[in-house]
Amino acid sequence: MSTTLSQPSSRVSAALQVEDLCVRYGGVQAVRSVSFTVEPGEAVGIIGANGAGKTSTLRALMGLVPRTASTLSFGESDLRRTPARNMVRHGIGYVPEGRHVFSGLSVEKNLMLGAYSKGWGRSQKLELDGIYEQFPVLGEMRQRPAGALSGGQQQMLAIGRALMSKPDLILLDEPSMGLSPKLVDDTLAILLNLCGAGLSLLLVEQNAELAFGATSRCLVVESGEVVTEGSTKELRADPQVRRSYLGI
Amino acid sequence: MQVFLQTLVGGLSLGAVYALVALGFALVYRTMGLVNFAHADVLMIGAYVASTFTMSEHLPFAVAVVAAMVITGLIGLVIERMLRPLEGKDFDLMLIGTIGFGIVLEALATLIWGATGRAVPSPVDTPPLHLLGASIPTYDLVVVGVAIVAMIALTLFLERTRRGIAMQAVAMDYDAASAAGINVGRSNAIAFSIGAGLAALAGALVGPLLYVSPSMGGSIGIDGFAAAILGGFGSIPGAVIGGVVIGLLSSFSAGHFHGYSDLVTFLVFAVLVMIRPTGLFGERTVSRA
Repeated sequence: MSTTLSQPSSRVSAALQVEDLCVRYGGVQAVRSVSFTVEPGEAVGIIGANGAGKTSTLRALMGLVPRTASTLSFGESDLRRTPARNMVRHGIGYVPEGRHVFSGLSVEKNLMLGAYSKGWGRSQKLELDGIYEQFPVLGEMRQRPAGALSGGQQQMLAIGRALMSKPDLILLDEPSMGLSPKLVDDTLAILLNLCGAGLSLLLVEQNAELAFGATSRCLVVESGEVVTEGSTKELRADPQVRRSYLGI
Repeated sequence: MQVFLQTLVGGLSLGAVYALVALGFALVYRTMGLVNFAHADVLMIGAYVASTFTMSEHLPFAVAVVAAMVITGLIGLVIERMLRPLEGKDFDLMLIGTIGFGIVLEALATLIWGATGRAVPSPVDTPPLHLLGASIPTYDLVVVGVAIVAMIALTLFLERTRRGIAMQAVAMDYDAASAAGINVGRSNAIAFSIGAGLAALAGALVGPLLYVSPSMGGSIGIDGFAAAILGGFGSIPGAVIGGVVIGLLSSFSAGHFHGYSDLVTFLVFAVLVMIRPTGLFGERTVSRA
């Protein structure tokens, strides 16, 4: 994998601030008053078991599910009332759980759709070349329908699609889902590459090992609440976390 | 041979119209996962508007057709806008809503143009073409030609333009499309209004072939709907093939079975759908996750 990555836009000084984020599905409270910050250029993880509210947290940040929060801002922008379709204009890219590529469209169209909000001009074509340089396999498959790609390739495509909008912050939902251990390692390399390029990262993972490898700080959620948080180093040493999430 | 050729061309022109109707059904279904039951009544409005412009206002046929498409396109926008609050909340109510709009349009047409209907003269007065002894109405060929141009234009729009590709993306994944910055509501509105425009085009073209009346949507709508199902609901090439198949079936069965032609057509249709329930091109399904 090539290590070149186009530098993100110069405005990468924005912090994501979340306070008292709640999501309610009918009578069930899926996310209970979650608060955290992602500093510019920082990689933060959210780990927890299946159904702990990790995905709901990300979907709520994106505005894909109804949410309430006392603060939800990125840099200067208040995002509490921002619909999902406008998040990308604030510099937030989203890689959904299960990849969600546009399976009937070609790899190239998928990537270009990532830059939909910017129009399709020369700089988006350059960005596309940058993605192909970073993920050569996508370049080889550019005319193939996305649905014909393997799980790992689709994951690259979903990440590439999010990068096409030149985001300052990427929300990544469970990138290791359904991937072989080898591909999980590849994914880790991609994530570290993104962080190295100055992007902020919010990573949701069931695979705590991967999250610890890619981030400097993690939140541990259970039943929609943050139960522990701290630096990756502290969490690795926490006996409770070791038992529940690392299986040690 | 003459009879065969004439029936063939007649079937193709009818099939072209059914294909246009099926394309409208398919486009809205692909984008929204919704079957627009007002579609056939929008077609009827298109037939009335176009024939009024040509017969009363003496506008050229092409101008009348475009005007009808614009007007019904606006009707499509209104329908989508009124259904939008239900999007993602109550799908059944949306379906019932489209049926309601159909009834409203039919009643409006009866109020404006009366219940009796009208015969529309052929807009092309060139004499029939003589080919291998058969006499082929030029208008049939015009219908086929216009339909082909419309299908190519729609395909180019969906495959080549940023907006068209985004509309396909909305059909495939609602959330991922939103996250990419695509305005799903606007995409649906465009699908609805293009669908309505296609219905108007079909209506304007079919007017001189059949008879224009407030209830004409019923029969053409069912044929177009059958075409969409036969092709695989939501598939664009499927809609075209399905339309042509249904058109040829009705044309040939009308020649051989007269009064029982619909029975024969739909019997064959039923058998085809039993053999291939997903339709000819129906491998893709719309995900509304």
